[in-house]
Amino acid sequence: MTVAVDSVRADLAALLGESRVHSEAAVCAPLAVDGKAPQVAVFPAAAEQVAAVLHYASEHQLAVIPQGHGTKLSLGSVPRQYDIALSLRDLKRVIHYEPADLTISVEAGITLGEFQNLVGQSNLWLPLDPRGGAESSIGGIIAANAAGPLRQGFGGPRDMVIGLKIATTDGKIAKTGGRVVKNVAGYDLGKLLTGSLGTLGVIVEASLKLFPKPPERATFMMRAGTLGIARELRRSILRSPLDPMRLVLLDATATALLDDSTKAPDRPDAELWIELGGSHRVIERCMLELRQLASAVGATLARREDAEVAWERMSNLAHWLQPKYRDVTVLKVALPLVATEEFLSRAQQEAESEKIALASFAQVGVGIVHLCALQETLGTSIGAWALRLRQAAAGLGGSLIIEHCQADLKGQVDVWGAKGDDLDVMRKMKAVWDPQAVLSPGRFVDGI
Amino acid sequence: MKSNALAKELARIVGEDGVLWRDEDLMLYEYDALSSMRQPDAVVFPRKTEHVVQIAKLALRHGLPMVARGAGTGLSGGSVATEGGILLGFSRMKQILEIDLENQRARVQPGVVNLDLSLAVADDGYYYAPDPSSQKACTIGGNVAENSGGPHTLAYGVTVNHVLGLELVLPDGEVIHTGASHWARPGYDLSGVFVGSEGTLGIVTEATVRLSRKPEAVKTLLAIYNEVVGATRTVAAITAKGITPAALEMMDGFCLRAVEDAVHAGYPRDCAAVLLIEVEGLKEAVEEHADEIEAVCRENLARDVRRAKSAEERDLLWKGRKGAFGAIGRITPNFYVQDGVIPRTRLPEMLDFIGSLEKKYDLHIGNIFHAGDGNLHPLIMYDERNRDQIGRVIKAAKDIITRCVEMGGSITGEHGVGLEKSDLMPLIFSEVDLELMGRIKNLFNPQGRLNPGKLLPTGKMCGELRGGLMGGGTA
Repeated sequence: MTVAVDSVRADLAALLGESRVHSEAAVCAPLAVDGKAPQVAVFPAAAEQVAAVLHYASEHQLAVIPQGHGTKLSLGSVPRQYDIALSLRDLKRVIHYEPADLTISVEAGITLGEFQNLVGQSNLWLPLDPRGGAESSIGGIIAANAAGPLRQGFGGPRDMVIGLKIATTDGKIAKTGGRVVKNVAGYDLGKLLTGSLGTLGVIVEASLKLFPKPPERATFMMRAGTLGIARELRRSILRSPLDPMRLVLLDATATALLDDSTKAPDRPDAELWIELGGSHRVIERCMLELRQLASAVGATLARREDAEVAWERMSNLAHWLQPKYRDVTVLKVALPLVATEEFLSRAQQEAESEKIALASFAQVGVGIVHLCALQETLGTSIGAWALRLRQAAAGLGGSLIIEHCQADLKGQVDVWGAKGDDLDVMRKMKAVWDPQAVLSPGRFVDGI
Repeated sequence: MKSNALAKELARIVGEDGVLWRDEDLMLYEYDALSSMRQPDAVVFPRKTEHVVQIAKLALRHGLPMVARGAGTGLSGGSVATEGGILLGFSRMKQILEIDLENQRARVQPGVVNLDLSLAVADDGYYYAPDPSSQKACTIGGNVAENSGGPHTLAYGVTVNHVLGLELVLPDGEVIHTGASHWARPGYDLSGVFVGSEGTLGIVTEATVRLSRKPEAVKTLLAIYNEVVGATRTVAAITAKGITPAALEMMDGFCLRAVEDAVHAGYPRDCAAVLLIEVEGLKEAVEEHADEIEAVCRENLARDVRRAKSAEERDLLWKGRKGAFGAIGRITPNFYVQDGVIPRTRLPEMLDFIGSLEKKYDLHIGNIFHAGDGNLHPLIMYDERNRDQIGRVIKAAKDIITRCVEMGGSITGEHGVGLEKSDLMPLIFSEVDLELMGRIKNLFNPQGRLNPGKLLPTGKMCGELRGGLMGGGTA
C-alpha cells in the first residue's frame, strides 16, 4: 500500500460512512487470502458504494479482493497485492421477483440458503449445489461459476444468469442482459463475468432463471466394484432415457468418508451415485431401469435414504474435509467423458506411489473429477503429484486446476495450468475492464 | 476498391471459382431476410480456416470491411454489407468434421446447416437442440453469430448453452481457440461473449457443439381457444404447475388460417388462437404432464385439446408452425416481423395492446410466437407501394418494442440487434453499458471493419428502427 492505512481508512469512511470501514485486525485477519490480510475491510450498503470504492482503489492503485461470504477464497493464485477486502455481504435486497415468470433479481450478497428459502415458498429453486453450500453468496457463486454435482441435470451458473449489474473500476454501474429468459440484445457480458473470479468488475446484482422443484427425489447407489464396470454403467446410463440430476462415481475412501467411517478395507471400489427427480411413478420407473442396467454388468443397486447430507458434503468438499484433514488439497479436473475412468485409474496409481491418501468424486456425466488428497505423509509431494496428473489430463484432452490447497503449494505449482492461444485476448480483456489491475491482481489464469 | 481488381486478389487465395464480383452476381448478396441494402464489392467462398486468415489479411491491407454470411436467413440485417467490402460466404465450409457421440459433441465447420447436424446423428438417437424455424437452411456459424433460439429453447436453452468451443479468425488474421471440447476450461468465457456478437468481434471458422440425446417419449398437444386471452393465460398457468414443456408456442386465428391454407396441417380455421405444446422425457412423465397441461388448458377455457396421434401428425403441426412466415407471405405483399420479449405473465396484457395498435394504425397484425418464454413475433402486414402505410407500420413496431421495454423485457429475443435495432439499444442500455460494449468491440475490431453498422448504435438515428422497410422485407 503506497498510501498510509489511516488516510485510506478515512477516505473510504467518507465514501461509505464510518461503520462500513474497518482496519482493526479482528475484522481484517479473518479476511486473509492465502495468508495475506487486507489493511482495510469495507462493507458497502449499496451498489453505488461498491462502485465508489472501486474508483477510489483504481485512482490510488490499491488492490481490492471482492468477496461474498469468503467460501471460495482459497481458489486462485496468490494475490500479488491485497489492500482492501470488499465485502458484498450487506447487499442482500431482493430487487424484483415474480414467481410465475420463473425469474428473480437479487443483490449479490444474498446467500444461497436465504435465496432457496425465499423461492422455495413458491416451490421453486435454483438447481445449484456449489462449493460453499448454503453459506455462499449468489455473487460469489457467479464470479466463480461454481457448480456441484447438480451440473449434470441443470448446467451451471453460466446457464442460469440472465442479467447482471456490475460495478466497474471507473466507478460506474454497468448492466448486461436483462430480466427476461430470452434475450440477445448486445454482447453477453454476463458470460464473461461468470467465472472471472472478481478480476474484471464486481457483480452487484444478478437476474436468474428459476426452476420448479421436482415433486420427489431419490438417490440410488450402484456398486460397480471396478472402474471397468463403472465405465459400462456410465455409458449405459447416459444412453438410457434417464435424465439424472446428479451422477457421481466414488472410490472406496470417498464412500467411507460419506458414512463417517475411517477405514474402508471391505468396501467395494467404484460406487456410482445417481439422483433422479420426478413423480412417484417416474421414480419407480427409473428404479426399474437402473436395476436392469446394474444387473446387466453384475452391479448391485440400493436406494440411499437421507442422501441430502451426503450430497451437501460432495458439493462442498474442502469445507467438509478440512476440519478432519487440515492440509486437504482438492484438484478439479475437466475431461472428455470417455477419459474419466482412465484418468481415475491413473490418479489412484499415482497416489499410491506417492503414498497419498486419496478420495475421488467424479461427475462422470459431465466429465468433472474432484480428487482430494487428504494428507501428506512425510516425504510425499502433492505438488509433483498434481503436476503429473495435470500432464495426464492434458494427454487425455482435459485440464486440471488446484481448487483448494495451502498457500505454500501455490508457490510451487501454478493452480490454473495450461494456457491457450486466447490468453493474449484474455489479457487485453482484463485491461479493458481494469486498466490499473487493482481487482484481485494475480489470482486468475496466468497471473491476470 | 474496384470489384474486379479485388476479385483477382481474392482468387489468388481461393481460386477463380471461389469469388463473385460481377454486378448480377453481387445482387444476390445485397439482402438477407430483413432487407435489401448495398452490394458487397466481392463475395468470396473460403474452403478452410487458412483461406479466411488470408482474406482477413488482404482486407486489413486494403482497409476493407468484412462481413460473414451463412445462409442469409437472418431477420435483423446481420449479414448485409452495409458499407460494401468483402462478404465471406460459408457455403463451402460445410463439413461435419467430427461426431463424437460418447462425448456428446460434434465439431463442425460454420457452413453446416443446422438441421443437417441433427440428421447426421438422428439414427443414433441424438440431435442438436437449438432449432430456429429456418433450421432447414440456416447454418451453425450464423446461429453462433446470432445466438439463435427456436421453439425448443424453452426447455433446452439457446445456442450459447450448446457451444463448447470456437475457432475464430480476428480482423487482423490471428486465429484463436476459445473454450474447449469439454466444459470448464480455466480462463474467461470468451466463447460466451463471441456467441451472439453478430459477427462484430471475429469470424467463426469452427465450432464444437454439444449433442443431446433424443427423449424416450414426446407428446404434442394442440389447445384450441375461442378467445386469445384464454391462450395467453394458460401459458403462465402451465409454469405455475411446475411443468416446463419442451415447447410452448402460440398462433392467433389470423396466422393459423394462413398456415392452414398453405400447409393443411389440421389447424381449426374457426378459432381465435391455438397453443402448440410439446412435452418430452420419460414416457411416464410425459403422460402425467400432458394430462396436467390438458387440465390447465381446459381450466383456461380451451374449447378443445387435441393430441397428435402419430409422428406424422406431429410433424405436420410443426411444419405449419415453422413454415408460418412463408405462409403469411402468401396473403400479404409484405410483412414486418418484430422480435420483442416480455415476462410471460404479461402476455394477456401485451396481446390486448397489440390488438389496440391494429385499430389505432389501421393495420393487420398477426401473432405467432414462442409464448413459453415470452418471445413475441408480431407480424405487421403491409404493402411496400403504400408509403403512408409504411409510416404506420414503423410506428406500430416501435410502440410494441417500447411496451416490451416498459414491461421489463428486451428489444430482441433471438433475431438479433443487427442493422435493424442498433439504434434501439439505448432503450434498454445506458451510455455506460454501451460504452463498455464499445470498448469490448474495439478490443477485437478496433477499426470497425468487421460487420460495420451492426449491434451498437450508429448515432445517426437514435431510437429508430432501421432497414426493415426499405423496399425489401418481403416473405
